[in-house]
This record gives sequence, structure tokens and C-alpha cells, in this order.
Amino acid sequence: MKYLFAATLALMGSTAMAEELTVWDWKSGDPAAASYIAAAKTAFEAAHPGVTVNFVMQPNDQYYTLLGTALSSGSGPDVFLMNGGAQAKARFGALTDLTAEAKGLAGLPEFSDGAVVHALPITIQGFVVYYNKKLYADAGLDPAKPPTTWDELKKVCEAIKAKGAAPCFAMGNKEGFGAEFFVSSLAASMLTADEQAAFAKGELKWSSPKMKAILQAFVDTKDWGWYEDGANSTAKFMDEYEMFMRGEGANTIGLLSDVAHWKQFGDMMGAENIGAFRHPAPDAVTLAADGGPMMPLAGGIGYGVNKAGKNVALATDLVKTLADAGPIAAFAKDAGILPANPAVDTSSMSSPTLTTILPWTTSAAAPMAHANASAAELEALHQQSQLLLNGETTVDKAAAALDEVQAKAHAG
Amino acid sequence: MSPERRTAWAFLAPSLVLIAIFRIAPLIWGAQLSLTDARGITPGAFIGLENYRELAFDPAFRDSISNTILLIATLPVWVCFPLLLAILIHQGVPGGRFYRATYFFPAILSSVIVGSIFNTLLRRDGAVNAALKLVGIAPTDWLGSSHTALLSLIAVQLWATFGMSLLIFLAGLSTVPQDMIEAARLDGARLRHLVWFIIIPALRPIIEFVAVVTTIGILTSMFGLIYVLTAGGPGTSTTLPEFLIWLELGKLNRPGYAAAISMVLFALMAGLAWAQIRIMQRNADV
Repeated sequence: MKYLFAATLALMGSTAMAEELTVWDWKSGDPAAASYIAAAKTAFEAAHPGVTVNFVMQPNDQYYTLLGTALSSGSGPDVFLMNGGAQAKARFGALTDLTAEAKGLAGLPEFSDGAVVHALPITIQGFVVYYNKKLYADAGLDPAKPPTTWDELKKVCEAIKAKGAAPCFAMGNKEGFGAEFFVSSLAASMLTADEQAAFAKGELKWSSPKMKAILQAFVDTKDWGWYEDGANSTAKFMDEYEMFMRGEGANTIGLLSDVAHWKQFGDMMGAENIGAFRHPAPDAVTLAADGGPMMPLAGGIGYGVNKAGKNVALATDLVKTLADAGPIAAFAKDAGILPANPAVDTSSMSSPTLTTILPWTTSAAAPMAHANASAAELEALHQQSQLLLNGETTVDKAAAALDEVQAKAHAG
Repeated sequence: MSPERRTAWAFLAPSLVLIAIFRIAPLIWGAQLSLTDARGITPGAFIGLENYRELAFDPAFRDSISNTILLIATLPVWVCFPLLLAILIHQGVPGGRFYRATYFFPAILSSVIVGSIFNTLLRRDGAVNAALKLVGIAPTDWLGSSHTALLSLIAVQLWATFGMSLLIFLAGLSTVPQDMIEAARLDGARLRHLVWFIIIPALRPIIEFVAVVTTIGILTSMFGLIYVLTAGGPGTSTTLPEFLIWLELGKLNRPGYAAAISMVLFALMAGLAWAQIRIMQRNADV
């Protein structure tokens, strides 16, 4: 009996010593992220004996619902992953201050309220136009000279349309993402830094001349026949990108990290067959150092520490490990992400397209307008953009509807 | 308390507890949530009927209700189509068993699978448009145009679920007195007479049952199809209340507002259930 008592005590002692940290994400089950997660877990557990890290992958489309429910009932994870911009900002109230840990990282504005950094970015995300060099050559265009101005892009699309082999842009707007990417791509060059900030605050209205010009350009490009018919029933992820990879679209607005990017297109189509350019815009007012268009760039995904967690100090250490150059190097190599940590060795990521893009992350970076809009505005943009593509509403009416949602979102 | 009553309560207790925990408590919780401005992180402050007031002016909610009304307006098709086929099968058309099995088959497929199949068929460059092109009809963006998206959804849902109604009708038809049908036949009645004067009156309770169950079904089980086929669009043309609930809860992070929509949908369903009970009681009295 005495031994049993002692054994029980010993067992209780060891459970009390063993600590567990729970991390929520929608990534850890992804094979491309496996080596990153494993490296971070090993490094952290080696540095903190007796601590176990559990990565819990939640379904992507339910992620924020589940997270919200868990946080509001006080049973949230110690550390959680989130998208930069609106989704992160909606959760700042639940997150600790990580300003001291964030030094030197890129993509911070999407995870900070200006003064305090609430999560450490892992990736940076952005939009560029990827193009199919063969379709350019077939249409009599020089694949080595992608368009740098709106007029040049119009000429490219005219040539591609004249050839008739494929639409100028593969376009998927079933969920409204096509419009989202278009708006941010044009806003990068059409808005000044002040206007971008005003838009994020809800002060630059959708009915302002600038924002209406962007919506008008969306309609114009449709009227000019840049897109295939049926864009509203084509999913951007991944129908649009599959179209592009099949050669059924000369251009597509793609990402810099994770998916639908230089690595995926390069792997599928051959790295030498694709190129990238920054989306030109009509009446561009903000130009990059080389005089070309700007590129929307933002903190992609990042980890934050739950303020209500059991061991905030330990969780902070874990987030530091997750944002550390060592584990992220594996993520960059396997998934082709652009790391937010400049210390990450990216020399193993060789792609001619990436070589083109990388300098733009410093020389041509502009805010990603849509990521700074409220979730309700984005939903309204999705709906209005579909009606615009169908010709079922006008730019004025769409802008008025968006104004209403914008005003409401920023009032409450 | 008498021993009999105690025993009765003991037997009732498990189900009462389960109902209280899994049905009543969430309902009360949802109703309470609908009176708050919950935003996901915080439990939310009490705001009275503000969410319901906002609902009245929410264009998305208004659209979802008008879509619902359009959906309910198609109810006669949902009832008559399987009824007609059931009568034909019951009358012994050649290959009736094959048809019965084939019609029922989609009912065992999940809505996501059905959605994926029809996504391929109905997309702009899909098989349906390819077939139409062969006969010289211009292609339509079935799922991407506001004019056709909801009707396409309804057609797909009808295809996927009418087999169940058909089976219920077949079961009902087997209770129609055969001697009456034979007597009518001897008197020279044709099929349409049989259907109109004997089968439909005999099947009335079944028809009413199918109508109510189908109504509830189409109002609460279209989510999977909407999610896969149209994502509620274009615009709000295929947004139904249940999809809006998901949108407000998951994407817009407004559990309080989503709960208010849920309560409205619940009230609608409760009204229908009430009608169902009334109808069944009336038929029990016949």
C-alpha cells in the first residue's frame, strides 16, 4: 500500500512537471509544412525538457469559427496561427504583446496595430501576374518583355485576344477572390500611401473617384474580353490556376507564397516557361524605384500567443522558435514560401521567376488593400464583383452598396 | 410518489436528460446569443433585439428570404414529379424495379459528391453546355448567372432527393385498395381517372406528409450544394438563410447576428412543424 501511495505521488509529480502547449493551425497536416512543424517542435522540446507541443490542425474553412468559440469560452489554444490583416486584427484583443520578439521581421503591419505587434509573421504574401511565355510568343509578343504600363498590358491582351488561343487572364471569381486580387493589384499603384491608410480606416470610400476607377477597370477589362466566359462559376483556388497551368489563360494574378505561386507553376509548367510582372494600373500615381508598378505585399500568416493561456512565457518562447530562421528554412524549401524572417537562408530556392520577384519585395512593396478592408466589405465586394462581371449592376450601384457596408463595418 | 410513477420517471429520465442537454439547452443558449453582439473573442454584451432590427434592413437577409420563397414556390414540382413516377412504377411499367433503384440511388450520395458531379456538368465549359452546343443552343453559365443559378441548384437538389419521396409514395400506393382500382377498371376507368379519383384521394395524407417533409428538407439541407456549387453567388442569388448563418458565423465572425438568423429560421421551421402536426391530426380524425 505504501509503495502504491508512493508510486501515485511520483506519477502525480511527473504529470505536474510535464507541460503541454497546444498550437492551432490549418497547416500542420499539410505535407509541405511537415518538415517545418517537425523542426520547430524538435528544437523547442529539446530546449525545454518536459514540455510537449501539440499541433492541432483545424479545418481551414471552419478555422476562425472554431477559434472564436474556443477563445470566447476561455479554452483556446496557447498559440494559434492566423492570416495577416483583417483576420489577425479581429483577434488582437486575445493576443499578447510580441513587439520585443518581432525585431527585424518583415510583414509586421498586418500583425500590429501600429504600436504593438501581436503576432510574429512567418511568411510574406503578395500578388504578381504570372504569364505563360509560350502563349506570349505564339501571339507575337516578346516573352522577355512583359508589360510594365497599363497601355502595354492592354496591347498584350489585344494581341492574345487576336490570336484567340486562350483568354488574356484566367479568371476565377466564384468566391469573389478574382476581384479581391484585382482590386489590391491595381490599388498598389493607383493609391498613395495616405490613401491606402485612409482606405484601411474606412475613410476612403468605395465611391471615391480612385476606388470607383478600380471597379471601373474591373468592368472594362471584362468588356474588353480579357477573361473567359463563366468566371463567376470558376473557383480561383484552384480552377483558375489549373486553367493557367493547362495553358488556358496567358496570365493569372498569383501569390508569392504557399500555393498558386512561382514554385507551383514552375514545377507544373517548367520554370523556364513562366515569368512574372507586377500588375500595371491605369493612372498609376505610386511607382516603384524602377518606375514600374507597385506590388501588393503583406505579412502572410503568423503565430500569436493567447493572453489567457496557462503559460504565456513558455508560449512566447514557442512562437519565437516557430518564427526562427532554422525551422522556417525547411518551410521555404518544401513549400516555396517567402519567409518574413530575413535571416532565413533562401539560397536553396532557385527559380528564375523568384529571382525576378525577390528584389520587388523591397523595391516595389505596397500595402495589400483588400487585406486591410473589413471582412464584411470583402464579402460585399465578392457579391458586387460577381454582379459587375455579369453586367447585373453598375459601378455606381456597386460602390454605393460597398460604401454602406464599409460605413457600418467601421462604425461598430 | 407511487412506485409506478417513480418507475415511469426512471424510464423517462434518460431521454428527458438527453433532450434537455442536447436540444433545449442549445436552443436557449442560441436564443440568448442572438440578443448579444458577440464577436467571437468576447461573449458579447446584451443588446436586446438590435440584431433582429438589423436583420429587417439587411439586404443579404432580405435576398435570402426572397430566395427561400422562390424555393418554396417550387414545392408542387417536388411533390408531383416523384408522385407521377411512383404511380407509373406502381402501375407496373416495364423495368419498374430498375427505375425504382435508379431514382433512389442519388439519395444515398452526400451533397458534396452531388455538388462536385454537377459542378463538372454545369460549369461554363461543362458537359451540359457541350451537349447544348451540339444541337445549336448557345452555352449558358448555369451556376454563374443570377438568372439560372438558383434554378440550377433547385434542379440538382430535386435530382438528388426525389428518390426518397418516390419511395414514400410507393409505400403509400401499396396501401391503396386494389379492389377499388380493379372495380373502377371494370367500370371502364382510364389511368387518369384512376389517378384523379382513387389514387390521389387515398394518398392525400402521404402527399401532405411529403410536402411538409420536403419543405423542411429544402430549407435546411441545401447548404452542402450551395457551398460546392455556387458559394451563395453570384451576388446573393443563391444565398439561403442557412448559408447566411454560416457566412456570418464563420467568415464575418458575428455569432450573435448568426444566432438571430438561426432563431428566425427556427421560427419558420417551428411554424411548418406546427402545420405538419395539424395536418396529421386532421387526417387522423378523417
